[in-house]
This record gives sequence, structure tokens and C-alpha cells, in this order.
Amino acid sequence: MTLETEVQSLRQVPMFRDVDPARLKLLAFTSERVQFAAGQRFFSQGDPSDAAYVILDGRASVLLNTPGGDIQVAELGSNALVGEMGILSDTPRSATIMAAEPTTALRIDKRVFLELLAQFPQMSLAIMRELAKRLERTNAQLVAQSSS
Amino acid sequence: MAVPQNGKRDSQANEHGIPALMEKSLFRYIWTHSKRDQMIVCAVVLASLPFYFMSLDLPRQIVNQAIQGEAFRDGNPTAPFLNLSFDWPGWLGGGTWEIFEGFQVSRVGLLMGLSFVFLFFVIVNGAFKYWINVAKGVLGERMLRRMRFDLFAMVLRFTPDALRTVKSSETATIIKDEVEPIGGFIGDAFITPVFLGTQAITALVFIMVQNVWLGLIALAVIAVQFTIIPRLRRELLRLGKQRQLASRQLAGRIAEVLDGIEVVHVHNAYGWERAEIGHRLFNLFSIRLKIYNRKFFVKALNNFLAQLTPFFFYSIGGYFALRGTLDIGQLVAVIAAYRELPPPLKELIDWDQQRLDVQVKYDQVTQHFAEERLGPMIEAREAAEADQPLIGPLMAEDIRIAGPHGDLIVEGGAFAVELPASVALISNGGAAASLLARILARRSLEFSGRIRIGERDLTQLPAAVTGRRIAYAGVDPILFPGSIRDNLVYGLRSKPVGRLKEDRQEMDRRIAEALRTGNPIESISDQWVDYERLGAKDENELDRILLDLLDRVGMGDTIYLFGLAGRIDPERHASLAERLVEARHRLRETFQSSGMGDLVEPFDPERYNSQATIAENLLFGVPVSDEFKGRNLAENAQFRSALDRAEITGDLIQMGLQIAETMTEIFEGLPPGHSLFEQFSFIGADELTEFEAILRRRSRDEGSLKREDRTRLLSLPLAYIEARHRLGLLDDAMMGRIVEARALVREVLEKSGSAGVEFYDPEGICTAAPLRDNLLFGRVSYQVANARGRVAEAVAAVVRELNLQEEVERVGLEYQVGTAGRLLSPQERASVNLVRCLVKRPDILVIDGALAPFDEARGQQLMQLLLEMFEQQSLFMVLPNDRQAGDFGVQMRFRDGQIITDKTAAPASKPSTPEPDAPQRITGEVA
Repeated sequence: MTLETEVQSLRQVPMFRDVDPARLKLLAFTSERVQFAAGQRFFSQGDPSDAAYVILDGRASVLLNTPGGDIQVAELGSNALVGEMGILSDTPRSATIMAAEPTTALRIDKRVFLELLAQFPQMSLAIMRELAKRLERTNAQLVAQSSS
Repeated sequence: MAVPQNGKRDSQANEHGIPALMEKSLFRYIWTHSKRDQMIVCAVVLASLPFYFMSLDLPRQIVNQAIQGEAFRDGNPTAPFLNLSFDWPGWLGGGTWEIFEGFQVSRVGLLMGLSFVFLFFVIVNGAFKYWINVAKGVLGERMLRRMRFDLFAMVLRFTPDALRTVKSSETATIIKDEVEPIGGFIGDAFITPVFLGTQAITALVFIMVQNVWLGLIALAVIAVQFTIIPRLRRELLRLGKQRQLASRQLAGRIAEVLDGIEVVHVHNAYGWERAEIGHRLFNLFSIRLKIYNRKFFVKALNNFLAQLTPFFFYSIGGYFALRGTLDIGQLVAVIAAYRELPPPLKELIDWDQQRLDVQVKYDQVTQHFAEERLGPMIEAREAAEADQPLIGPLMAEDIRIAGPHGDLIVEGGAFAVELPASVALISNGGAAASLLARILARRSLEFSGRIRIGERDLTQLPAAVTGRRIAYAGVDPILFPGSIRDNLVYGLRSKPVGRLKEDRQEMDRRIAEALRTGNPIESISDQWVDYERLGAKDENELDRILLDLLDRVGMGDTIYLFGLAGRIDPERHASLAERLVEARHRLRETFQSSGMGDLVEPFDPERYNSQATIAENLLFGVPVSDEFKGRNLAENAQFRSALDRAEITGDLIQMGLQIAETMTEIFEGLPPGHSLFEQFSFIGADELTEFEAILRRRSRDEGSLKREDRTRLLSLPLAYIEARHRLGLLDDAMMGRIVEARALVREVLEKSGSAGVEFYDPEGICTAAPLRDNLLFGRVSYQVANARGRVAEAVAAVVRELNLQEEVERVGLEYQVGTAGRLLSPQERASVNLVRCLVKRPDILVIDGALAPFDEARGQQLMQLLLEMFEQQSLFMVLPNDRQAGDFGVQMRFRDGQIITDKTAAPASKPSTPEPDAPQRITGEVA
């Protein structure tokens, strides 16, 4: 797997869909490709947010820490972006991410990511658009829930 | 004012020969310290004169007597050779005194004989000249050494008041540059006037003998020369003084800007600073210009006056000759003699100019070290003073401390504390607590009143006692460039306790030279640290004490990390070096057995390491010399020839092209200087355009590349790490070829005898690589998540298991702290400063703001640690408020100029697990 394939993966992420290919290449180049063994944690709930991850290959579970132990709330597959909210809002991790099988991910460092956003407004716009869409979806869900 | 004893303030030297003050007159200074040498050289100069004159006379004899045959005028077949006779002058009755009648020789014989005598004199004169020049040079250098040392000794004595105004860089310029010409002059100071003076007087007497009047004329002109010229030069001296001050200030200003460069950057004051320096340079130029104008005017006038005398000789002498009162022969002889006069005169005037010049410089130098700026003499070696522990009642009476603006901060303060005690000096927001702390630490003597410890007056304690028994840690941790260890033991080096073995002859020479120039005879290679006093047997035990203290102040982990990053010297760290390979194998086993095998890719002579750069894979070692480091490697001829032999140059350049293309593509649009460039790009922001140009040239010229372009492209893949950069440039075949090339590179480098690279050896240590690399003997994988942290833990576990932690930390003690400790963080600097005080085991430790760099929790921990360690000794600590004062035995407050002391009723709510023998634990084992 080379930089090119990583760029292909990034293109599949909704948040990066509209970003210029050269910028995605820069994003990939400045990120690290890391492997997690099955059961190894990307990060734990409550950790400071230092990076976002794009899963290139493999699966990871999203775990929430409850008084009754960790419960799995979701599973992430290829091309999923995780941990981006923490680095954007500068809050601690809201969930634990654990590799469900040997998993390869692209680790996007927080500082580098924010610097790229500051440098390239077009990238920021793409992210904002995606965040707005999510908000819209959440609103729609809220409306649906309250009316049901 | 409790003024300290003034010491000996006269110009007499103390036992070291270091004068209390510089001599006012340069000549007296030179004469006092070098009269013997000056007289010897002078005597030799005078002794050389007859030989010199004889060699001047010989050419005439050779021409006249041998070649033209005057000696054989009367038809004699032979003539006397080496005939020594002396013609008595007419007024002594005339006649000849024959000393040696000489050998009778033929004409050719006489020619050869005289020629060889000439050759002999040439050699003798040469030998004299050589000896005189060397002796003068050595004399000058010795005096220069003495003067520099005297000045430096005075630097150590600058009073706190003087230090407020003295600039360090100016002082450095003075000692280094300004005294240099003085040293050059010293060799000529007495010899030149004697030598030239005799010559000039001889010529003048000769003229006088020929004709008194003409002699008087010559004398009159000389008198005019010697009165007018120095007068004109007075202005020149004034300008010289200005110039010296201006250039000294220039040096001072440059150093100031450099020291405060951060402020210049922050406030974008480049323009102002440039203009500032530009203005100073203009001033310097203007002064210089004035000096030149004046100097050459004076020179021209001097030349004119020198030529005026012949004018008088021709006109007046000629007039007398025409009138018949003067013999023409005499006139010609006088004019001939006068020709001999100007050169020595001119040189004498030049010497005089130089003398004044140097005297001015000297005055400027001594003014910098003026009496009012200097404190009392510091006796380096004092008689074994009653060195009793500083315990007993500390009594202060009628203390008055004035602030910097003359206001009284403490007035009539008094207190009594039984030492040892822990005393909190609680600041009232003013300067009182700090000032009192400085006074107790003997940092300041600017107060009046009496402070006594037992029977002894604090201000009268000799420096040897205070240096040993009192320690002071202020806000500014002052560190010197050198290793952490050097800084820690700085306070233990008051005097050498043992001589290191050195070459006997070399030592005698060194000491003799030191004695001649008033320098210290101690060598810094002697053993200066008194291990016994610290309860340590040797260096190793001292290291253990230092490490234990560093650990206790919370710097243990840092030192361990410094150790891992440090380089090992197999001689100094013999036991570590021996066991390093064992530790390396153990670490590998640990990795294998705990399933961490993929965390580190080991260096294997037969395999490509995809976590390392291509350069590392090609060299399979660590560059030692600069020509093998970084970009230089691509230009190195030996390395290139090895690549050519392995036939991979072309492939690497092809990779360089691909890298350049990718980099120019993805980094396009980032502003130059962006931090991402530095962190990630192979290409610096400023090089980007150059590589773009190379790529354009290549597509235009259809693939052909210039030599420099090839070198530049080659440098790119050398820094490429497949696992990290992931450009997909390396396939298995290429990796295999690089491993093959590795052997060729080694062969070529070894054959050429180049010591530029230290190669890796799986069974040996590589001293050029950091300790960490020697342990891992591989590279941590970029691909495995959190590999670095896990590897670090495994390394720490193995180091502990093999009991190597202390050895590693000892390597860490060699970490260089940089200028003023700038390579350390503020907390690390403060910790080193603290340990430097603790290792002395002082009776009294005064802390004033030394814990400021730490956050509140750490600061409090350290305070408890100090309280615990100083249960048997005294601790004085300045506190900003009384929140933590309860832990101290005595609380000292400052109110309305008074000092109020309270004893804490139930002393110190003891911190966790107090140990009564805390201070003794210093020598214990490291955890």
C-alpha cells in the first residue's frame, strides 16, 4: 500500500470528498500509517484528543464506558473517520476505539490537521459543509423522534 | 556600612604575585615585572653592535683592499690578513697599537679570507637577530600573559555595584583584544630607545666633531621635531582614545543585541538595530578618518623637518664654505653623517608614537578596572582557618538595610535564632526578605549592624569557609557550558587536593612559566574534588551521590533519557560497554518472547532495514565526519564511486526525480517557512523552486541532467525511509541491490583509510551512535501503533533487570547543558542549580526563588524534601506568603522596617514518612 492508495481511501471519507487531490496527498503524506493488533486500543475514553484516524483496512469497535463495564455501541469498517470531533472541538475522547481484528489506520496528527485547515480555506469549507450536513441530519432525527 | 576588610590595597603583590591594582604607568608595570629580561636583551643588543658595524665596514675593505689592491699598493706580494690594530687619535699623541699583526696572504687569499670573514659576520649577525627577536617576542608574550591574568583576577573582584555597569562583552574585548598591541610593544619598550638612541647620538656626535655649528643646527631641528610633533600627536591620542572606547562599545552592543535577540524578533526591531549599528560604524569611520588625516599630516611635517636640516647644511654650510670658513671635505662628511641620522630618528619618533598610543590603551584598560570598582583581594589559598560548622546562636543586632534608591528597608532590625534551624523568610511584598537572604548567604555586604554566628562575625568569615559551608540558590540558575556533572561539582572545586600524574618535564616547564608570569601553578587536570569530604571514595561514588540527589529532586527520568541519547566512551564507561551487547541480546529476546518482534526492525548486515533511511542502509554505520553527514554524503567522492561500482547511481537519481516531483506537487501553495516543510518535506522551502527548475530542465532536455543536478537529486532518496514516507519507491529487488552495494561502500571506505563512518557491528558497540541505538540495534517501526512508548518501556525494563540504570544515568551526567544551560528546560536548570547546592552539604542553605520555575505542587514537594534533608542543618527560605510557613521551625516577618521572628509552636506537621537520617542517605544506593 502506498501513498496513492491512502489518497484513494481518504477520498471515500465524506468529510474529505470535496478536497483537492493534491491537498489529500499532503494530508496523507503528513499522516502516519499505523497497525493495531486485535484488541489494541486506538485511544481510550477520557484521553486527550491528539489525532484522528481513518481506517484503511480492518474493523474497530466503538466502546462506551458505563458503570456496568464497556459496551459496544458501533463498529467501524474501512474508510471510516474516527476521532475527528475531539480534535476539532478540543475535548477529551468521548468513547474508546479498539481494533476488532488486525487493523491498519492512517493517523492524522491534530496539530498538522489544524495547520492544514488554517492554510487551505477550501479544505476548511469542505469540513464545514460536512459538519453542517451532520447537524442537519441530527436535527431531522430529533424532529422525527419528538413527533413519533 | 559593614565594609569588609580592604585587604592589601597597595600595589604590592600578594603571595601569588597578583597585584591589588594595575600600575598607573605602563612603563613602571613593565619594568617591575621584566627588568631582568629587559636588561639581558639590552645587553645582548649592545654586544651585537660591534659585529654589526664590522659587517658594514667589510664590503668597503673587500673592494678597496682585495679587489682594487690597495693593500698591495707598494708592490708587496702579500698583505696582512686579520691584522688587529688601533690608531690612537691625534690628540692622544697618535701612533698605532698593534694587537695582532695578522697572517701574510696573497691577493686571492686576502679576497677569500675577507669574503669568509664577511660570511662569518653575516651568520653571527643573523644569529644575534634571531635570538633578540625570539627573546623580545617571548618577553612580550610573558608580559601579555601576566597582564591578561592580572586583569582576569580583577574581573573576579568586581563589586556588585560595578557589575551593574560593567558589560561582560566589553570586559572580554579588553582582556582579549585591547591588551594585545600592548603585549607587542613590551618587547620594544626599553630596547628600542636604547638601541636607536645610541645610533642617533653617535651620528650626532660625529657631526658635532666635524663642525659645531652645523651640529647645533641639526640639534635645533631635532629639538623642534621632538617638541612640535608630540604636541600635534596629542590630538591623535585623544582620537585614539575615542576610537578605542567606540569599538569597545560596538563589541558590547553586538553582544547585547545577540543576548536579547528574542526581544528584537518579538518587536520586529531589526530596522532600528541595523540603524543603531550602522550609526556606530559611521562614528567609528569618522574617528578613523580624522585619525588618518592627522596622522599623515604629522608624518608629512616630520619628513619635511627631517629634510630641512640638509637644506641648512647646503645653504649655510655652503655659504661658509664659499666664504672659506668651512672645509669642503668637512661639509661632505657632515652631510654623509647626517644621512645616517634620520632613519634611527624616524624610528625613535615612531617608537615614541607607539609608546603614547600604548600608554593610552593601557590607561583605558586600567580605568575599566579602577579601584572603586574592585572588591577586596580574594585570597585563593587561606591558612587552614578554624573551619568549624556554622551552628550555634545566630544573633543579629541593629540591622539597617538600604534599598537601591537609598530608602531604608530594614531599620534597627534584630533577631536571634538557634542554628541549625529551618527559617521561613516571609516576604511582605517588598525586597526585605530577599535582601536579608542575600546577606545571610554572604552574597551582599551592603548593610550595617552586626550578625554573628556563635562567636564569629558573619561578614568576617573567610571566603573558604563561606564557600564551603553556605550555599545559595537564587532565581537565576547560572550554569556554565559543559556537562551536567561539571556543573554539579562546580561548588566542590575550591582547591586541588591531589595532583594528577603528568609528564614531569612538561609539568616543570608549565610551573616555571606560571611562576615567571604570576599565574597560578595549579592545573585544571589535577584532582579538584575532595571526595572524602563528601564521603565518597572516587568518581564513581560521587556520581552515585549526584544521581541520587537528582533523582530526589525529580530529575532522575530526565537524566536516564539524556543517558540513552548520549554516547558512550568505552574507557570511561567500561562496565557498561562490556555489558551493552549482552543487554542488546536480552532486549531482542524480550521482544521475541513477548510478541513485540515487529516493533523494532534490527540492523542486519544481510538485510534491508525498511525503517531506516537509504543512506543508513548503504553505510550501515554512523557518520563521524561532516563529509558523510546529511546532504554532504551525496557529494562525497568515495561514496559516489562505490555507488557507481554497484551500478545503482542511476536508479537512485531516478528515485530522486520521483521524490522531487511528488514534493513539488504536494507542497505547492504552502508559504515558505511553514512548519510542515521543516517537519515533513525532503526539500526545504527555499529549495523548492530550484528542484522545480531541475525538473523543467530535464523535461526540456529530454532526460539528460547536469552533474550538479544529479548530485542534488541523489541527495533526496538518501533521506528516504520506505516505511515512513510510503512513496512506494523501493521494491524487493532494489532493496537487495542496496544491501549488495553496502558491502562495496564499506570496502571502498575501508580501502581509502577514511575514518568518516563507524560501521555497525552486531557483536560490538558503535561509539558514534547514541546509547539507545546501541541497545536497540535497530529502528523502531513507524507502522506499529504506539511502538515508541512500548519499546521505551521494554528498554527500561531490561536496563533495570541488568542493573544498568545507574550506568546509563552516568552517561546522562555527561549531557551538555549549552551556553548558560540553554539546552535544558527552566525546571531542569533549576534542579541542577539546587543539586549543585545540595551536594556541597552546606551548614546553611539559603533558597530565594530557586523553586519558582516549578509548578505549585512540585515546588511544595521540593520544599518538603529540603526540609527533610536539612533537619540537621540550617535552611533559610524566602516564601512569598505564609501559606507554607508552618512547616518551618522559625518564621521571620518584615513589618515597618522591623524583623519579627516567631517560633512555630508545634514545629512542622511532618511530611510523609520523615526519616531522621535523611541527609546521610545521600550516599546510599540509587533506587
